[in-house]
Amino acid sequence: MMHHLGKVALPVYFWLFVTWLFLPLFVMAAMGFRDSNFVAFPIQSWTTDWYQSVLDDREILASLWVSLQVAVLSTILGLGIGTPMAFMVARFHGVWRAILITIIVMPAFIPIVVSAIALRMFIGNFGIQTGLVAIAFGHAVSSVPFVVVMLLTRLNSMSPNLADAARDLGADEFIIFFRVVLPYLSPALFGAFMFCMLLSFEDFTRSFFLGSFDPTFPVLLFARLRFGFDPGLAAISTLVLVATIALGIYAERFTRKRTAPAKQGRLAASGDDKNV
Amino acid sequence: MTAFFIWARRFAAYRSLTELLARSSLARLAIISALPLAWIVLANIAPLVQMFVISFYQSYPLAAGTAPEFTIRHYFAFFERPLYLSAFARSFIFATLVTALTLLVMFPVAYYIAKVAPRIRRVRLLLLVIAPFWISEIIRSFAWMLMLSNRGAVNSFLSSVGYSGPPFELLYNNISLTIGVLYLTSLYMLLPLYSALEKIDDRLLEAAADLGATSFRRFTRIILPLARDGIVTGCTLVFLLVVGLYAMPVLLGGPSNTLFASTIGQIFGRAGDSWPLGSAFSMILIFAALAYVGVFMAVLQKQPGRRS
Repeated sequence: MMHHLGKVALPVYFWLFVTWLFLPLFVMAAMGFRDSNFVAFPIQSWTTDWYQSVLDDREILASLWVSLQVAVLSTILGLGIGTPMAFMVARFHGVWRAILITIIVMPAFIPIVVSAIALRMFIGNFGIQTGLVAIAFGHAVSSVPFVVVMLLTRLNSMSPNLADAARDLGADEFIIFFRVVLPYLSPALFGAFMFCMLLSFEDFTRSFFLGSFDPTFPVLLFARLRFGFDPGLAAISTLVLVATIALGIYAERFTRKRTAPAKQGRLAASGDDKNV
Repeated sequence: MTAFFIWARRFAAYRSLTELLARSSLARLAIISALPLAWIVLANIAPLVQMFVISFYQSYPLAAGTAPEFTIRHYFAFFERPLYLSAFARSFIFATLVTALTLLVMFPVAYYIAKVAPRIRRVRLLLLVIAPFWISEIIRSFAWMLMLSNRGAVNSFLSSVGYSGPPFELLYNNISLTIGVLYLTSLYMLLPLYSALEKIDDRLLEAAADLGATSFRRFTRIILPLARDGIVTGCTLVFLLVVGLYAMPVLLGGPSNTLFASTIGQIFGRAGDSWPLGSAFSMILIFAALAYVGVFMAVLQKQPGRRS
């Protein structure tokens, strides 16, 4: 029985699930081509006008620009803080490490609404206004835990022999850091970079509570959807969706390709690797 | 870049710094830790502590030069209005049901990718399923609005195959909200389940089959116990995510089924000094959610499958 289940039912179920995942996205892409002011099916006549007109919508373009700025700023913050944090955690062991990691990943377990509002009240102490910087700060708070975990995984696989060898050859601590450790981390760093960008770009809740009058793209879309929708919104959503998925897939493939050969190099370098 | 550091060695200060770092691991630790520790305190701990304190204030922001007065009336306010209590209860019931549903839907998917699909295709299949999760929650809500509205894809498909009654009311109710939230949570369940299932040694299952264990028995005695950690992690992540959802219930849910996170958001959106009230409610949400998850974990740890 299990045999049949595995051979037939499970693949069918899996592809049904995939259909369920992608069907709404294709429906949305198709809706962007509808030649009417109203959103409805079936689509009788098709047009590319919506796709062209949203590119003239200044409000949407402005919101995309805000989103991009926020993403870059929060990624710089997230990597700038997360990288040394991963090094810090790597130096602790046993219980202390567990405690440290618990505190670091805490933001991932606090309901997003609560943490966004807590941050909003907190930045008021320092006179920081809601807006671009505040949103970037909020996104960095949520991305740092992931950066630390991603870098730590890579860092754990690094042999201490590498740094020792460099030291024996006369490198000082700074040279070791920039020429040995950072290059070794680079695939994980790139993965973390893309993760930060995507997380920031797709976030709504933090941007909503920490933002002011210049909305990020998801916040603008949210505001418009509450007053009804037209095919234009479907068109711009589709464009953003395609860009996001393309970037995500590129990042995934890039990270995987870069990590694979490094593993072999690690084997050769350490010789006592138990994880492989 | 190396040239820069070698050039810097002309300076005594640089030389003594690098020597100190090479000699003392404490110095290395100090240099590395300063920024991260400051961040942990300022970004992870201080905002929540401040919120906790504000939840006991009479009013906030304070008028200039006045000392805060403390009260616990905001916590009592939670029990006084049935509106708040029912939103809270609805949130927890909804999150529990969605978590269970996500587990049921995703377990076969994770099992298929981890155990049944050919090994070389696994990464590709995983990528296929992960891809939609890079998209914003709002865009995904919108896509489901187009599917489920009265003149949306589902209803127009039904009428094109001969159904002629009034359109099904699929949007702005619990159906649309559940479907949309499931769309959001499935990845958070899939990844922990996948990594737990992938680790199960196939030889265990073969050995059990050789010894005459039925497929049902193999499932309950081997697969489920070994997947337990993945199940617990996935359920925890999904539950905490759903309890904190703000936008999707507003877009896809009906006006009559507000969730507690929306209540909190609305309180902070109100004019006047409602921040202490909102802070108190936030604290209630955090502690209740963590306690609930904690109890759930404790119960699962005690299951008979744990015995060795």
